[in-house]
Amino acid sequence: MKSKFSIYNVLFLVALFIFSCDKVIDNPGIESYSPFNLDVKAGTWKPYILTSVNDIIVPEPKSSTDPIYLKEIDSLKNYIAPRVTPENLQAVAYWGAGAVYRWNEIARELAARYNIPPASNAEGKYPLPDAANPLADPKFPFANPPYTARALAYLGVAQYDALITAWNYKYKFNRLAPYKNDASVKPLLPISDLPSYPSEAAVVAGASYTVLTAMFPGEIPYLDSKLSECKNASIWAAMNVPSDITTGDALGKAVAVKVMARAKTDGMAAANNQALTPALIEAAKSRGIINPWLSQETPARPPMLPNYGAVATWNFDKATMTAIRPAIPFIVESNEFNKDLDELLSIQKNQTREQARIANYWADGAGSYTPPAHWNRIAADAGVRAKYSEVRMARTLALLGTSQMDAGIACWETKFYYYTPRPQQFGVKTSVGLPNFPSYTSGHSTFSSAGATVLGYIFPDQAATFTAYAQEASNSRVYGLIHYRVDCDMGLSHGKKIGDYAILRGKSDGSGL
Amino acid sequence: MKLSSLSILFIICAFTSIRSYAQTPSDAIYMKSGTICILGAYSQSSWDKYWENKLKRENFNIGTNTTTSYMVMAAMGLATNLNLIAGLPYIQTKNSAGNLLGQKGIQDFSATLKYRLYRQSGVSLSAALGASVPVGNYVPDFLPMSIGLHSVSATGRIIFNYQHKTGLYLTLHGGYTGRSDVTVDRDAYLAYDQVFNTRKVAIPNTTDGGINIGYLKHGIQAMVFLEKFDCLGGDDIRRNDMPFPTNDMNGTDVGGYIKYQPSHFGVNLRYAHVIQGHNIGESTSISAGILYQFAFKSMHKTETETK
Repeated sequence: MKSKFSIYNVLFLVALFIFSCDKVIDNPGIESYSPFNLDVKAGTWKPYILTSVNDIIVPEPKSSTDPIYLKEIDSLKNYIAPRVTPENLQAVAYWGAGAVYRWNEIARELAARYNIPPASNAEGKYPLPDAANPLADPKFPFANPPYTARALAYLGVAQYDALITAWNYKYKFNRLAPYKNDASVKPLLPISDLPSYPSEAAVVAGASYTVLTAMFPGEIPYLDSKLSECKNASIWAAMNVPSDITTGDALGKAVAVKVMARAKTDGMAAANNQALTPALIEAAKSRGIINPWLSQETPARPPMLPNYGAVATWNFDKATMTAIRPAIPFIVESNEFNKDLDELLSIQKNQTREQARIANYWADGAGSYTPPAHWNRIAADAGVRAKYSEVRMARTLALLGTSQMDAGIACWETKFYYYTPRPQQFGVKTSVGLPNFPSYTSGHSTFSSAGATVLGYIFPDQAATFTAYAQEASNSRVYGLIHYRVDCDMGLSHGKKIGDYAILRGKSDGSGL
Repeated sequence: MKLSSLSILFIICAFTSIRSYAQTPSDAIYMKSGTICILGAYSQSSWDKYWENKLKRENFNIGTNTTTSYMVMAAMGLATNLNLIAGLPYIQTKNSAGNLLGQKGIQDFSATLKYRLYRQSGVSLSAALGASVPVGNYVPDFLPMSIGLHSVSATGRIIFNYQHKTGLYLTLHGGYTGRSDVTVDRDAYLAYDQVFNTRKVAIPNTTDGGINIGYLKHGIQAMVFLEKFDCLGGDDIRRNDMPFPTNDMNGTDVGGYIKYQPSHFGVNLRYAHVIQGHNIGESTSISAGILYQFAFKSMHKTETETK
């Protein structure tokens, strides 16, 4: 009998394996936590766009003895809590990871969904995405690395400016959380002493919604659902009463409108000015570049955002950007150039599996959330591990996000200043896909070095890890065969300088961090 | 018939040799107990148009995608009604245009046990259980260049056959393949319009079925076939994106197969063409093989393998 049983067991397992229909991979969950530090003084931190944390007026809340407030508490206990569904609980657990964390994750997902270059049409042209018709083919936006870096920068800045404003009012009005006012309110998430008005989750939701609907105008219905779920989750979890939420949402939106006013005039509208390219090529030639970059796609695709270098930077001015621009790279046919090309040809011949792994791990190419978002994720995960408050998480992602946008701008300016050819113009293939813009310097190296520099300042105990990540991300472009070594080395040192300017900002923002 | 036959399967379209050798033989032909047949086969499969979701398109940055494979395969008669079939391919991919680096390497080892459940007056019913395991450490998600999906698979199959005394035969077969999750190099990917923050990728299971009509007698086999395979679930290639292992690939192909094996040595030739598909290449494949058959133990009774 015994042996028969084991045979049946084996057969059962085989059948289970073969016929298993559960083909869904779960995203790793994030456990909710109480912040290790409430950052009580965050209301004194320096905003990016607002002139002060008093720019937006938040009305004084009803007192804890006011009948209107008591009714809100009563409704939490006696109306909402008994009606919480399993789906509501799922939403509570999801948003319990943190509103800043989740809204950045949502932004990364949107970036990935929109990061596909337009297809060529029958006339051999590449139609431009149209913001007024975002879901037509090609979809708007093409969320390539510069676009995504910019979206995440504005998201981070809006969340940060909105949250320091919220913190100012939280400690000004000091409304206790529902569960502090009434012990019979049973919160579903970890508690803290943070005043609840306005709700930090709703502030982040309102700010994020405003930025992301502008950046991804085809996703308004999706973002509507996320906005309402985020706000409701705080109520289902009994972390807030509705007046905390509505005020927070309105505050977040008001701040983000001011932040997005900068976005409207930051030069992005002219970033794809293709009329400039003939002059850019001539200028590069006058600097000694003998084989300017040519699109390697068929039909030839106009370069990605040739005027992105003119977009407004965050942490340094344009004179500084010129001063830190990397020097001219090795010229085609020089010994140094030939050495770099030989390295690529030799990898092409005998790429190791480990080189391929590194190239793939950091590729973040078409259809992915792009390198600046990879660093956004690394930062957000580090913030969760460190149990950061919402406001400190926002500060982290604003410092990182602005550094990434600055890195994109300065790198693009360099790319189109020198207009250098890709290795593919000399017979090299790629194992990761070829970006459609000039080679020098490597965007991955610049983004990653700036990111590692900023994160090393914020999480000094992990600085060596981040530096190693940046070096690996930089190497990945050589292993993937789309950058010469000099592109990567110079991008790394450029990125370090760019990151240092974000650190200067961080050190002088009043946080004392 | 004096000599046994060996059925082989070849690359069937898709964006890699995804189905290829993970499949179990889908015919009702058996090796005699105590005999073994070794096959060396060369295959080439190529497409210059593919279905991006439902849109049939070309891609000037791919040109023609070609998968070449070299395969060693063996079929062994373990008992009168029981065969073991095993194979291991080496695969190479390349594009005629664009910059994507071709991939190459040993793909997946596959083994199948095929058992004849019933045989009477030319009618037979067989069942096959097979599995495949990746051997090479290749990259699974650099499609359409990857040489496979690096998934462990298990297949169950039923094969019905009717053989007329004239040599004409009809085979119907249907199978189900379970495919394991795979691990990719990247730590996040987009599928089903969601970002998955993990290296694990779920690969849809598949079903397949087909009909073969042919002639088999005196060491000659000739047949035509129609086959269809379907992923159970999966997502679609997005507009102007590259394929991904989670894609809902399906297709129908038609083709022909001939084999001539008058003695120990034999040759075979196979042709297949995809006539309809979804998230796959419209591929045309040709294969040619050399077979060598011998007895690995003395037999006490002789038996023809196809009656």
